[in-house]
Formats: sequence, structure tokens, C-alpha cells
Amino acid sequence: MKKLLMGAALSVATIFGSVQSASAADNNPLPFTCKPGETFYMNVMVSGVEYWFPVYEMFKQAAQQMGCKTVYTGTPEYDVNKQLATFEQILAKKPAGILLHPMNPDPFIEPINRAAKMGIPVVTFAADSPNSDRVSFITSDNGREGAYAADTIAKDMGGKGDYAVLENPGQDNHDRRVKAFVKRMEDKWPDMKLVARAASNTDAIKAYNSVMSMAQANPNLGAVFMPEATSALGAAQASKELGGKIRVFNADVNAKILDMIKEGEVFGSVNPNQGMQGYMGFMLLYMASRRDLIDPMNDYARSGFNPMSVPFVDNGFSIVSQLNADDFYWDKYLQRRGTKGIDE
Amino acid sequence: MSNPGTNHSINVLGSAPGEPLKKGNLLSGFGNMREATLILIIAAIFIAMSFASPYFLTWANMKAMMLSFATEGIVVVGMTVLIIVGGIDLSVGAVMCLAMVIAGKLFLMGINPWLASLISIGSCSFMGYLTGLTVTRIGLHTFIATLALMGISRGLSMIITQGTPLSLFTLPPEFKFIGQGSVYGVPFVIIVFFVVIIISDYLLRNASAFRKVFYTGSNEKAAEYSGINTNRVKLGAIILCSTLAGFAGIIYMSKFGAATPNFGVGLELNIIAAAVIGGASLKGGEGSVLGAILGIALLSIVSSSMILLNVSVYWQDLIKGLILLSAVSIDQILHNKRSSR
Repeated sequence: MKKLLMGAALSVATIFGSVQSASAADNNPLPFTCKPGETFYMNVMVSGVEYWFPVYEMFKQAAQQMGCKTVYTGTPEYDVNKQLATFEQILAKKPAGILLHPMNPDPFIEPINRAAKMGIPVVTFAADSPNSDRVSFITSDNGREGAYAADTIAKDMGGKGDYAVLENPGQDNHDRRVKAFVKRMEDKWPDMKLVARAASNTDAIKAYNSVMSMAQANPNLGAVFMPEATSALGAAQASKELGGKIRVFNADVNAKILDMIKEGEVFGSVNPNQGMQGYMGFMLLYMASRRDLIDPMNDYARSGFNPMSVPFVDNGFSIVSQLNADDFYWDKYLQRRGTKGIDE
Repeated sequence: MSNPGTNHSINVLGSAPGEPLKKGNLLSGFGNMREATLILIIAAIFIAMSFASPYFLTWANMKAMMLSFATEGIVVVGMTVLIIVGGIDLSVGAVMCLAMVIAGKLFLMGINPWLASLISIGSCSFMGYLTGLTVTRIGLHTFIATLALMGISRGLSMIITQGTPLSLFTLPPEFKFIGQGSVYGVPFVIIVFFVVIIISDYLLRNASAFRKVFYTGSNEKAAEYSGINTNRVKLGAIILCSTLAGFAGIIYMSKFGAATPNFGVGLELNIIAAAVIGGASLKGGEGSVLGAILGIALLSIVSSSMILLNVSVYWQDLIKGLILLSAVSIDQILHNKRSSR
């Protein structure tokens, strides 16, 4: 199985070890448990998208293991104002903490800072608001995702050939994946030539049209990379109609992409370890919500900041291929776990 | 029914409804066609691109470009008719998505895909009918009524799929043929597209029932006084728009073998833009299928050219926007000059 679970979390595990022995925790007879009714929220944009579900599944599991409650919230729309409104609604309920995927970084600075002043910790995941007072950011390393995708494609093409990229300019994690992909090709695979770029903007129809046009101008096009799943539907269909010679490689998976990987229509995918995002996200929130749990040797007491400070956690990622695609189906996962997913 | 004597502005191949082009006046007829400017602009882009890229004027590229707008072109037909009648439909992308999702879900439940598709298109028509009733009975503007339909359709798609794309790999080959098959090297989608535009253009120019669309759009009161049931015309146009959007959704489902809840987001703007670029007036009473198809073709050709010329993704939208603004402005200036003669 060609699966890679990238690093991460080691630093967090180390912190957990030290946490157990923190003397300040003696006040709590049962460390890592919640008070009755203590509730943590997860907040996202485009809340119906499958990507979030495995994140919440492990967010919920970590909470349940510690006797805490969780709620899945967000806006179904791709609209930062709508997401801000749902964030405000959560704040009004005075939650124990919020695991947040901010659609844009800066609009969330003020609300996150206000939450911090209210004593409500915020941990960001998959996308960040770096200039805010969020206590931590957990994500996969988009740079390594892009680089690994580049290596996989280049190796399969014998280190030589034409490739193209479909982009979604403006979405930070997507931009970073594409940049890393192109840079890796330039640095490590000099005979791989970038011949076309187009903005498909997570639209299957645009992706289809773009790949069809790219292939006309570049008859030897051997691969197309895109930083998300929706475009892969269109790109793979175009590749199929063009004879199936173009390798389609994307980031993130869903049932359709997995089927296409199994059928050989999509060459492969990089998929962030969503479960770790959710589980570690909860643990970070829990620790941040208990300031007296940790007593590090620094100036936190004098300066008044939260002693639980882990600026960045890498949740790792997997390479999904024909060999392991079966392990990434959400419905099968849910069936195996016997839970109600985001509805509990 | 008596012929309404309203002073409407009609531009279907440069002639009033039912009036055939005279052979001796073909050149002057072409010059007077509202679509003439658009045809010349597209021709100019073709000539420029054939010098700029050796891959532009190839059958493969022509086929790729036609494939890129064939299915959307079907939706444009419905939108054009609705705009002519004085309305607008913001829900076409969402309804198209809903059609895919309903048909896909029914298929996964074991229903024959053809029957599932018929039920799905019928559902879209029915939703169009309900929306139309809010326009004709309650008096809502199509803008707000279809905005609501957009939300309802997206919401239903989310509920049915639970946010997860429906994978339809097991669709039978004969069904996949609609979106993926070819007849003598010509993709079946393109054939369907031409059938739809030829029929709709013919009907819009020659069928008295469709001529009422122009009369209603250009002067609703006058049309009513002439005995036209304008509410029925508006209702019919809204249903037609939703039905064609549903039909396009089925084609996409067949093409991509999937039904995703976020399919077609923002599509309505492209469709409306195409109709307007093609000469449809947002005030109603004016427009043509040919113009709208030229409009969507122009959008597609510009997009394709940007990729063939390897223009930076950061510049593509700006350049596309400037080209489209120029094209529409030139067209409007020439149209105004013709009208003032």
C-alpha cells in the first residue's frame, strides 16, 4: 500500500505527556474530562461538503471520550459574511471552544480576538487566520502535498514530459499546493515542462473545458494537477475523451473521485488526514480552555497569554491510489463506526 | 387569434416573426441582422487566433470548443425565451444540479435511468410551474421567485446527497452515450444541441404561440388588450427554462457519471451574459436564439483562446472581461445607429 502518513503530532504528543504531570492539574480530580454540559463547536463554510465530515467525526470522538459535547455548525454557502454570522451565534452561546475553518483570514481577526477576550479559545484548521489570537492552527502541509504529487507524477512519466495545472486562485491552501507542485517540478524534475495553466475555480465544467483546450495546444500533455476534487471530475472526463493518456492528479477525495481512482480515470490523490485534524483540534481546544493545566517555563503569567501555545500542528496526509481507495469512502466509514456523522 | 398591433422591437435573424429573408437582399439583410456584429467579432477572433496559435483552427479544437458550450447552450435557449418575455431565471444552475441529483438518486435506488431522467426533468418542470405561479398569481418578479427556487433546489440537492457526490459509475453504456457518445465522429451532445437550437429558433420565428413571447415582453398591457393571455405565456417561459435546465443536468450526469450537490454554481451568470451578449434585452421583447448561441460561443471561444495562448491565470478574467465589454459595446453602438436610422 502506497500510503504515507506524514509526521506531525509528535510535538503535540510530547506536550500531552508533559501535561499529564503538570502540577497545576492537581485541582482537577479527573484530568481530561468535561464538566456537565460543556460544549465545543466546530464551524465551517459550505457546511454540506463531505470534506468536513471525517474531521467532525474525530472531533466528536475525542470529545465523547472525555465526556464533552460537540456541535457541528456553519453556513451552507461560500460566503464569508454568512460564516461570520454563524460564528457570532456560537459566541452568544458561550461555548467551551471553537474549532474553526475561516473562509478568509482577516475578516475573522476581530471575532476571534473577541472570543479570546471572552475566554473562548479558537483553534483554526485547514485554513488559518494567522494575525488573530487563535491558539493553534492544525493543517496538513500543503507544500509537502504538492511536492509529493509532483514526485508521483514525474516518476510515472519517467521524469520527462509536459504537464499542466488547474487552479483556484485566491484560496490559500489551494494556491500553496499548486505553487509547491510547480516548484518541486522545477527543482527536482527539470525535464518536466509546465505547458499550461488555467483557473477552473473548483468547477467541473470549467475544468473539462480547460483540459480540452490545453490538450489541443499541447498534444503531448501527460498530466494535469489540481488542488481540489471537483475539478478532477471534469478533468478526468476530458482525459477520457482525449484517449486517457493524461494523468489526472488532485487533492482531496469523495466517493466519485474514489470510484474514478479505482477505475484508473484519476491517477491518484493526496488527502489530508481529516481524522487527525478533528481529534487533535479538539485536544488543543480542550487544553486551551484550561489555562491552569499547563505551567510552562516562560512569561505567560507575567504577559497574560494562554500557556497552551502550539502555533502549528501538521496532521499529515495520505496518498490515495487504486490500492487503498476503498479505505476512504465516507459512507463505508460511517457504517463501520455506526454513528450518525454530523447529525450528533 | 388576432395579430397584436404592438410596436415591438423584434430581432430574429433581422426580421420580424414569420417574415422570411429575401434572397436578393441577403447582404443587406445580413447587415441589418442584430447578430451581424457578433458574427463579425467572432470571425475577427477566429482570424486573429488562427495566426496566434496553430492549434486553433483544427477540427479537434473546434470540437472541443463546441463541446464546451453545447450543453450550456441548451440552457441559454430557455433563458433567452424568458428574457424576451421580460423575466430572468437565477435558478438554472441549481435546477440543473437538482436534475442530476434526483435522477442519480433514483438510479441508485434501482430505477431505470431513462425513467429516472424523465421523472427528474418532470420534477424540474413542476418546480418551474410552481415558481411560475408565484409570478403570475402572486405577482412576484421572476428575479426573486427564481432566487428562491435557486435556494430550494440547492437545498434539496444537499438533502438528497447529504453533501456527498453520487457516484454513478454503473450507469448503462447506452445512457452514457448521451453525454459521451459520438455519431460519425461528431459528439452526440453537439447533435442534441443543434437539434434544440434549430427547433427553438424555428418555433420562435414561425410559431404563433412563440411569437406571443415577443408581444408579451415588449408591451404586456398591449398584448393583453390584443387577447393574449400573458400570464400563460410567462408561465410557459418559466417552465421551459426549468425544463431545459433539467434536460442539461441529465446530459451532464451522463457525461460525468456523477451528481454533485455543488454542480453548476454560478452558471446562471454565464447563461444570462450569453443571452444578453446575443442581443436579448433585459427590458424584454428583444432577443434571438441565434444571438444567444453566438453569445455563449463567444464566451467559450475567448476562454479557450486564453488557454491556447497560455495567458496567466491572474490575467485571464481581466482580459476576458475587457473583450466581452468591448464586444457588447460595439454591438450596442451599432444597434443604436441602426435603430436611429
